[in-house]
Amino acid sequence: MKFSFTEDQRLFAEGLRDLLSKQCTPTHVREVWENQVGHLPDLWSRLAEMGVLSMLVPESQGGMGGTLIDAVLLFQELGRAAVPGPVLEHMAVAAPALAHSQWAPALNDGTTIATLWVDTSPYVAHAQVANIILTHDSVITDFSMDDVHGIDGGRQLFTVHAQATTETSSEVFGLPASDVMALASAAYLIGVSEAMIEVAAHYARQREQFGKPIGSFQAVKHLMSDALLKVEFAKAPTYRAAWSASTGSSTALRDISMAKALAGEAAYGASRSTMQVHGGIGYTWEADLQLWMKKSWALMRSYGDATYHRRRVGASVLHG
Amino acid sequence: MDLNETAQESAFRNEARTWLEANVPTSPLPSFDTAEGFALHREWEQKLYDGRWSAVSWPVEYGGRGADYIMWLIFEEEYYRSGAPGRVNQNGIFLLGPTIMEVGTQEQKAKFLPSMASSEIVWAQAWSEPNAGSDMASIHSKATRDGDEWVLNGQKIWASRAVWADWCFGIFRTDPTAERHRGLTFILCPLDLPGITVRPIAQLDGDTGFAEIFFDDVRVPVANTLGEENKGWAVAMATAGFERGVSLRSPARFTEAVKRLIHLWKTYGDPTDTALSDAVTDVWVQAEGYRLHTYQTVTGMLEGRTIGAEASLNKIFWSEMDVRIHEIALQILGPEAERMEGPSQRWVDGFLFSLSGPIYAGTNEIQRNIIADRVLRLPKGM
Repeated sequence: MKFSFTEDQRLFAEGLRDLLSKQCTPTHVREVWENQVGHLPDLWSRLAEMGVLSMLVPESQGGMGGTLIDAVLLFQELGRAAVPGPVLEHMAVAAPALAHSQWAPALNDGTTIATLWVDTSPYVAHAQVANIILTHDSVITDFSMDDVHGIDGGRQLFTVHAQATTETSSEVFGLPASDVMALASAAYLIGVSEAMIEVAAHYARQREQFGKPIGSFQAVKHLMSDALLKVEFAKAPTYRAAWSASTGSSTALRDISMAKALAGEAAYGASRSTMQVHGGIGYTWEADLQLWMKKSWALMRSYGDATYHRRRVGASVLHG
Repeated sequence: MDLNETAQESAFRNEARTWLEANVPTSPLPSFDTAEGFALHREWEQKLYDGRWSAVSWPVEYGGRGADYIMWLIFEEEYYRSGAPGRVNQNGIFLLGPTIMEVGTQEQKAKFLPSMASSEIVWAQAWSEPNAGSDMASIHSKATRDGDEWVLNGQKIWASRAVWADWCFGIFRTDPTAERHRGLTFILCPLDLPGITVRPIAQLDGDTGFAEIFFDDVRVPVANTLGEENKGWAVAMATAGFERGVSLRSPARFTEAVKRLIHLWKTYGDPTDTALSDAVTDVWVQAEGYRLHTYQTVTGMLEGRTIGAEASLNKIFWSEMDVRIHEIALQILGPEAERMEGPSQRWVDGFLFSLSGPIYAGTNEIQRNIIADRVLRLPKGM
């Protein structure tokens, strides 16, 4: 038994972190929030070049031929930078699900952008940047849309009216698209949480009250430690879920649910604690913290919230 | 990443399971915090040692099997699965033993490790003092050099297993001019020497699992010093890190407790109570999460990473989970949860014991400080 990532997997994730630290700073994310473009086109091209967008597409179909184990650290890095736009939907589901379709080459190189419409939501995220929309059994190739004002400026919501569709399967590695998204968003939420904790720890080192940095007070230390605890203990279950999904394990859905429940709760906990550590500035539009907080509030309930997923685990372990 | 067991790991698991099924006492032993129970647990440890199962992760030359951490976790899973007795010499085998292997002399290894593995000598820990609890660096008990001997004076408290144990290990102030964590020395001491008085302390459950130890001009050879003189704090911290990190509470303890909890829920729980079934599922998730986290940690250790302050995260996690598991059990038991006997006894005893978890081995509040200071790099201060 070996519960670790390979050197290659770690280096690839580090490379992505490096790219995002330059091309997806809070300033870039705010631009997207304000200009309504919906994503960062330059970054999108770089993600395509680097092979992030086609990570889960077989090599025979022009992709990187990676598994969800290869991808899970990348999802985490994307969350750490609160990358705006349909990168998870495109990379985790659309590109691999449509790998044997006419769209494959353009999805791999990013010139066609796909997003996802899951059955459990009336809304489609990122429809304004998408050329095609994948549903559980079709591709919507022509559509009109109406803007729905969403909480996360990096994940705008729309109601979509399909005008032309083509039947297809949306499964990835034999798993339903919504479950693959649950796994991808769990890992993404871990990255989001890590970023919030880093930002708040940095603030707690700088901000002084009573003549001392507020990070020296136990009330602040304990708030931060408890937030970190939940995030750290969501990681191994999320990586295990990626392994189960990659190996066709019979417990894959249970393991994905465990990951999403833990990561969603950890992210929400981190958002509460890190905002509290910021005090008044945490309640402002100006503070960058909101770029991650709102991401956590959007994704914690997408693709199944913690209650849904915990009950799915319960159905397996209490009645199994 | 490969979360399947190797053939070697599966074979090891099967060997452990077979031995345990043939040898585990058919009825539970009395508590090792009673005179009778202590003796029976020592006998059980001897049996484990004879089968070379008492210290599987130790080198073969000291009575172990040289098992790596993954195999140690597998052994622990089989051990808890079999319902085998608690480990009366845990302070020795899991805390002091690894420390002796790391910093002890050849003579100390030869003298102390085999007798520890066989539990011919059962060890008590003697760290805390009446005024050195969470503030462990404010230790006052002192060791004064007299030729080839240390002369020990002072008082230790909360010394686990000290009532019936044979030896203790603790830290003593050896440089009276040094302050706080400087000038302390880690010393090993038999508990039957003249000048030692052990006063049992009844725990919340009424048993005497810990004790005060009074030292009144107790003389031990200087050869009983573990590690360097005046560097005892670092030696103690190495032990404490291992204790909090991996060895003190292996995941199997909790995954097995949750299995029993699910059985209890199936037997007595109201299946229409979704708050209750959610709570039971939640502790299953926690126990499974702790198991996965531990496998990830030990894989990292096998690949050369060390565990530092992250160990404090583990300690908080398992101790709070343990309380939660027992709270849910008592909720399911309802009026029976007031009874200290019969079918609810194990859960009520377990609940009382679980409440000590957030306190011993460094309170969870101290652990949170450690995480904040060393992992999150927040400024020192109270």
